[in-house]
Amino acid sequence: MSVQVEPKKLKWVGQRVRRKDGPEKVTGSLKYMTDYQFENMVWGRVLRSRYPYARIKRIDTSKAKAYPGVICVLTHEDVPGFNGFGIVIPDQPVLCHDYVRCMGDAVALVAAETEEIAEEALQLIEVDYEVLEPVTDPEEAIKDSAPKLHPSGNIHSRVHVKNGDVKKAFAEADVIVENTYYSPRQMHAFIETEGGWGILEEDGSLTIRCPGQYAFRDRLQIARVLAWNPERIRVISNPIGGGFGGKDEITVQIYLALLALHTGGRPVKIHYKREESVIAGIKRHPFKVTMKTAAKKDGTLVANKVVAFGDTGAYASLGGAVISLAIEHSCGPYYIPNVDLEGYCVYTNNGIAGAFRGFGVNQVCLAIEQNIDMIAEKLGMDPIEIRKKNVYHQGGLSSMGHRVTTSVGTWKTLDAAENCELWKNREKYKANPSEPWKKRGIGVATSFHGIGMGFGLPDYGAATIELLPGGRFLVGVCSEDIGQGNGTVFAIVAAEALQCHIDDIDVIQGDTRRTIDSGTVSASRSTYVGGNSVLAAAPFMIKLLKSTAAEIFKIDVDLVELRDGKLWAKVPVEGKNVLTYADIYQYLYEHRRETKVEGHFMVPKAEKQIGNNVGMPHHVYGYQTHVVLVEVDTLTGETEVLRVVSIPDCGKVINLQGLEGQAEGGAVMGMGYTLYEDTIIERGIFKTTNFTNYILPTFKETPIIETIPIEEAEKTGPFGAKGIGEVVMIPIIAAIVQAIYDATGVRINHLPATPERVYKAMKEQGVIYRG
Amino acid sequence: MNLKEISFTVNGQSVCVFTYPAKPLLDVLREELNLTGSKECCGKGECGSCSVILDGEVVCSCLVLVGQVEGKDIKTIEGIGDPDHLDPLQEAFLDCGATQCGYCTPGIIVAARAYLDRIQHIPTHEEIKDALAGNLCRCTGYTKIIQAVKKAAEQQFILR
Ligand code: FES
Ligand code: FES
Repeated sequence: MSVQVEPKKLKWVGQRVRRKDGPEKVTGSLKYMTDYQFENMVWGRVLRSRYPYARIKRIDTSKAKAYPGVICVLTHEDVPGFNGFGIVIPDQPVLCHDYVRCMGDAVALVAAETEEIAEEALQLIEVDYEVLEPVTDPEEAIKDSAPKLHPSGNIHSRVHVKNGDVKKAFAEADVIVENTYYSPRQMHAFIETEGGWGILEEDGSLTIRCPGQYAFRDRLQIARVLAWNPERIRVISNPIGGGFGGKDEITVQIYLALLALHTGGRPVKIHYKREESVIAGIKRHPFKVTMKTAAKKDGTLVANKVVAFGDTGAYASLGGAVISLAIEHSCGPYYIPNVDLEGYCVYTNNGIAGAFRGFGVNQVCLAIEQNIDMIAEKLGMDPIEIRKKNVYHQGGLSSMGHRVTTSVGTWKTLDAAENCELWKNREKYKANPSEPWKKRGIGVATSFHGIGMGFGLPDYGAATIELLPGGRFLVGVCSEDIGQGNGTVFAIVAAEALQCHIDDIDVIQGDTRRTIDSGTVSASRSTYVGGNSVLAAAPFMIKLLKSTAAEIFKIDVDLVELRDGKLWAKVPVEGKNVLTYADIYQYLYEHRRETKVEGHFMVPKAEKQIGNNVGMPHHVYGYQTHVVLVEVDTLTGETEVLRVVSIPDCGKVINLQGLEGQAEGGAVMGMGYTLYEDTIIERGIFKTTNFTNYILPTFKETPIIETIPIEEAEKTGPFGAKGIGEVVMIPIIAAIVQAIYDATGVRINHLPATPERVYKAMKEQGVIYRG
Repeated sequence: MNLKEISFTVNGQSVCVFTYPAKPLLDVLREELNLTGSKECCGKGECGSCSVILDGEVVCSCLVLVGQVEGKDIKTIEGIGDPDHLDPLQEAFLDCGATQCGYCTPGIIVAARAYLDRIQHIPTHEEIKDALAGNLCRCTGYTKIIQAVKKAAEQQFILR
């Protein structure tokens, strides 16, 4: 059963559609979790570790407990169930009992009458530590001599992919480049810090209101710690003031749950200050990538050897999956027959790293794209030509050795890059810098990103559609709207399938009681999976509408036609021969019948796994090319991005406004990653504390961004759509670095490309302005 | 410190709160007056998500102490429009797609509204960028916000 809509008849898909939640957002009337207020509330706070690595000898909470206004003080002894969390391996203690492994580690929780009292109570908790030497370098961490941060050692995971004969290919190659690249510990810096409410309800159930990226998994993680049946817990995770992967893992949900069990039914609120968010929150994995790439004289890539180290900090979270994705994408969207790709995910005492938009691909994209640029330069080839020559096409083999049967738009994105105004007139754009001591350059790069969880991992979606009074519909998909606008996408898909106006669709997301499990909001998956889930539910709604109409008309269901959002009798009937959705609702309501249907979707998988690497490969990928123009100040080393052309292949565009929003937001986040952003941790201690010393791109640095979508429709996607949330921030990284090279002749292999680094590199190579 | 009675106007209404004068205005707006459109993000004057208009000037309400606003006039996002009566700037935000997660949006609309009220011409891209330089947004890449402010300005000055 499926919904067929002829492409030319599409009414909503591909248009510029206003966000469903827009009016509430622009007026400030939307309630985020920490905007709620409850009578009789108490404040919760978390006691963090004092050291990056130490053994806990003693915890004494008696003074804090005795302090007036304190309601409870909890330690590991108060954890009723399993004292740990983590999406893949729950190796992060909820409340530490033997060791602390990073500054973000939680040691105790306090609930008190006021925030100030809670803060004072934290100071009164006595913890005796035996301070230990922190492990801070991933390559040192894997040596036998390093202290073991976890019983299994410091290597959390190793991924290895080998195809062809690398040794032979390098021996026979005409050109070889080898470089080592370092990438920063980017912070998600969502504008809404972590926070929420925990409430023990009168019926003994627990409600946790906390922004998250997968309410059902959050609920499971809470339940495991409480040793409760998850059914007794309701998690409300929508709306969210930004996520980017940083709210994929548990943030404060479990603390809220534990505290709520000890406040005598009073609602408990936690809301991190930015300083606490910086220390406690996960970050992007810093990588060291060594990459050796070889080509023939004609530019054909023949071999790639990669060794990548990712620093996951004290706990795994999604680190293993990040390394796996990095290795899967380490050869770019090209076919390279001989590869030897190795990745390590390593524990250290450097905070905690986890999911972040791009998920490991950002780090390796810089390496492969730079290496290709160097090869092109050595061979005197055009950078777009060499890429076009090596990309794989639909039906072809990837460097992982699997056949990519789904849509591949890389070549077309490169072709659009070649024909865009900025690239065609690049010499003109470069010719006139704003000051004589400034130099301009242009760079291009391309990348790709898997959609969904990949081979061997559960990946499914589900949606409900309920017919409401007046003939409106309520579409429920648990996957949250973290800002990208997937709720509007679900409404567009439903309006198209049900032939109604988008204003007649309401959407509900992120509530374990009112929606059904639809998987995570991550992995660029929610348009693809959620959209398909809505399309899976729609035929059941159509069936309900038609069969009810047949009953009212007293004719066979085959004689009912759904046309223009109404139900028509194809044969003469008694009374009216056309019914509205409102009529159908009224009839069902009067007969006390169910008006809700659900649909389920299993994400299709690639044919076979790559080695025994879980999650590898993906079946569907989004593709993206960026062209950028930069201007570098040779007196200061400062780089300004002036123009960006973003060319995504996301399959069929569902909402043009939403797509451009992702492309622009991704470009600026990628620019921040490349030029400014890094969370500095020295010897395990955070030097970055707030936005005073973590530089984010502002309005001032915003370049002119043009988006040119390439719609390479994917037949397994909803109306041909794929996903785009992550890849939009990836190739711009390498494109900016290449543009800096084009401008100055210096290659920056260590990001961010701060003025200091660029200046130093220019000085070393004698690139200085001389009037 | 002692509790004190402090009176001021918010969105045209006189209010009187009994609180600590050293409490940030932002906390008073959110917790005591239930005006939660203004958001806390950095608490340090770095992000503008707590922006309100104080006697015609945009300020970070996380840095203003409530004791300092005795007798003053404050406008918050709630005073600019509501879903049934949107300000043209808010309409422009919707048309252009200038909000995503929405957490920065109230602060940016407050700052942009104050800016458009202050000037007498259609601003250039660069002028808009300068005017909003104190507001951070992590989602949108700013581009559509600049377009929205420009669009609202065009309507405002051409229709006059
Ligand atoms: S919260 Fe006031 S400026 Fe950031
Ligand atoms: S819309 Fe999310 S921070 Fe601006």
